[in-house]
Amino acid sequence: MLHRLSLSMSIIAVCCNCSYSKWLEISNIKIRQEPTELGGPKIIIEYDIENPNISPASPAYVFIRYGKDETNWYLIAIDRLQGNGFDIVDKPGHKRIIWWGTDQTSFADVNQVDIRVRGIQMIRIPAGEFIMKSLPGGGYDESKKITPTSNLPLFYMAKYETTIAMYTDYLNEIGGEGAGWNQRMNNSNRCGIVRNSNYTYSVEPGREQYPITYVSWYDAINFLQWCGLRLPTEAEWEKAFRGGFFLDGDETKKCPNPMPERRYPWGDQAPNADGIYRCNYDGTEDGFDYTAPVGSFAKFSSPYGVCDLAGNVAEWTLDWYSTSYHVGLDGFRMARGGSWMAVPDACDAITAATQLPLKESSIMGFRGVKEQRKSY
Amino acid sequence: MKSLNRREFMKGSITSAAIFTVLSQGKAYGANERVIMGVMGLGGRGTYLAEKFAQRPDVEIAYLCDPNTRRFARAREAVEEAQDKKPKLVQDFRKILDDPSVDVLINATPDHWHGLGTIMACQAGKDVYVEKPLAHNIWEGRKMVEAARKYKRVVQVGMQSRSAAYTKKAKQYIESGKLGDIYIVRVFNMMQHPMQTDTPNQPVPEGFDYDMWCGPAPKIPYNPSRQWLNQWEYSCGPIAGDAIHQLDLARYLLDDIPYPKTVFHAGGVNVLKDGRETPDTQLATFEYGSLTLLLEAALWTPYMKKTPIEIRDSDRFPNWLFNGTKIEISGTEGFMHFGRHGDGWQAYNADGELTQSEYGRQGDKEHQDNFIDCIRTRKKPNADVEIGHQSVLLCHMANISYRVGNQKLEFDPKTESFTNCEQANKYLKRKYRKPWVVPDSV
Repeated sequence: MLHRLSLSMSIIAVCCNCSYSKWLEISNIKIRQEPTELGGPKIIIEYDIENPNISPASPAYVFIRYGKDETNWYLIAIDRLQGNGFDIVDKPGHKRIIWWGTDQTSFADVNQVDIRVRGIQMIRIPAGEFIMKSLPGGGYDESKKITPTSNLPLFYMAKYETTIAMYTDYLNEIGGEGAGWNQRMNNSNRCGIVRNSNYTYSVEPGREQYPITYVSWYDAINFLQWCGLRLPTEAEWEKAFRGGFFLDGDETKKCPNPMPERRYPWGDQAPNADGIYRCNYDGTEDGFDYTAPVGSFAKFSSPYGVCDLAGNVAEWTLDWYSTSYHVGLDGFRMARGGSWMAVPDACDAITAATQLPLKESSIMGFRGVKEQRKSY
Repeated sequence: MKSLNRREFMKGSITSAAIFTVLSQGKAYGANERVIMGVMGLGGRGTYLAEKFAQRPDVEIAYLCDPNTRRFARAREAVEEAQDKKPKLVQDFRKILDDPSVDVLINATPDHWHGLGTIMACQAGKDVYVEKPLAHNIWEGRKMVEAARKYKRVVQVGMQSRSAAYTKKAKQYIESGKLGDIYIVRVFNMMQHPMQTDTPNQPVPEGFDYDMWCGPAPKIPYNPSRQWLNQWEYSCGPIAGDAIHQLDLARYLLDDIPYPKTVFHAGGVNVLKDGRETPDTQLATFEYGSLTLLLEAALWTPYMKKTPIEIRDSDRFPNWLFNGTKIEISGTEGFMHFGRHGDGWQAYNADGELTQSEYGRQGDKEHQDNFIDCIRTRKKPNADVEIGHQSVLLCHMANISYRVGNQKLEFDPKTESFTNCEQANKYLKRKYRKPWVVPDSV
């Protein structure tokens, strides 16, 4: 859910329902500025997030952006925030955040800025060992020196692929004549974002919940940096898909994964076995000729509850393709998860595709992940 | 073309393929008639070529083929975005050859399929665009030339840099004599490759015709960690697979100089000791009488970079010192840096003063234009199969010198064999796995 507050008073409450977009609903936002004796001014942001599905296993990721002059928008750095309503929020209810040091942000009065609070449904992927099978080519992120691994720390992954509505909201905020947008996004079957004459962007009615497509790797990371997230590594993607040896993680080890080598998020049955259609792959028998609204196959989500890892759109990952002589040169990146154009077999845990990072494809989208915030 | 069931034919050997001979030079194309193509091999390069050709108004991609069905989606999406008609998706390339409406086979397979795929396409009356390196071995390359000539096919090799305009200007500059007489040419191919991972063999994934993928090569247990580029049965090696571009460019700049008299190789698997067979370090000296061509190549030199994307196709030159894909041409009166990726070239006089520079643009589109043009005119393309054979010959000669213990080898152009080492001649031809056998008579 998006809240845009044009502050002409010290306390503003805006409530709107944007749940269709896959932003989480956030309501009763109140914002006020208070002086402090020694620490300069601080802004208090309060809001309600009532979604009953928010839990430690499926928390919200809440990020806050502020803007001046309708054009310049900034993500508020987490280090400046204090309270229970930002970053990973694992309980519904009333939230309160203190934004410290606002005198350092080139405005002295909260009335001079707009503030937007958005939330994304995430899934907790506990720390622990898992089986990584997608070799070679997988799991090696040259930029971060991450090698193929069978053990990962706790992280959070977006429950759904990034939607057209979310991406359009992003386009409208960053403004400009089309950075992040390309003409093919007009395609109403495969995407559905229209650029208006004044360089605002609209979602074709009914396309809000479909996954964004025609995004390059750079478009994906730009969107995620705008949110404060990043792309998953192949290892993270694969663990979210298949689950670790213990679904509650290796700290507690109370919930063993019955199928740690599963081929698909739901198990080993083929996506179309027994006349049951478990994800969106090539053809129309699954009910979708092109992409499907995110979460359409929620019954067949991963052991943690991440939706649509199999099929729908293949998903960009952070990893370089590192097995050819193109390594580090053309910068091929890895995409995972099959797509609406892939054969059912290709929607499994190990199929990977290389793509040039500038590729804007109707079968590729993305989702974000968040590492656990360090506490000081 | 459909007079004989191709499955029946395959029960024999490829020798029988002469039955499918199509002796006509090719059909006559109307001005607006599109060239119909099938693409064999849907890896990165095959997908790229499928997309680029599909984007042309004078081409239709009718087939996409790969033994691994998981590879269909990426290529199909690219093609469907570029053209109106949906391509057929097949795992067996013979379905492309069986279709008389298809004019061209694009062969973008791994090295071990280049030869037979191309020869069978020629036999079936198709023109061919085959990726570099042309052939898995020297003998096979000659058979590809013979097939192209016998069936009067246009065979363009994917050595697109020789179609770039700046390359032609460099050649003209050299021919003008401003560098003097050329005695030394150094070709670099310095890269960074990771170590192979060591994992157990795995079951062949569903939807992957692994037997077809292996084709003429041995069907060894499936192991995705084992990179085909590093195995002799499937590849000329990762250095050869990339250095072929610069070696071909060097030959082009030297007016397609044929056959060296000798080769001497130094190097081996010195750094990336991960079970690979093909060298990670290759220093090869080719003697052409008074001219010496040097290949300096390695897979472990992180400071030597391929030309960055932002430099390619721009009005900028790479940092020559650390450019991993450059060519250096030394004459008696001048010196030239030449870059492969649309990098351009710079020439210097005897005092080290810059005498001429030319920015570059890559030649992919020109190469594809040339291929289509030659399909219509029946002329030999810029990277004709014979040129491809002559260029990849250098890779094979260097590899064979290495495989016989880095011996200096003497080469006889007439027989395309070595005269001073019988052991080396054992590497001129591979052992083919039935039924995927290249016949002596194509």
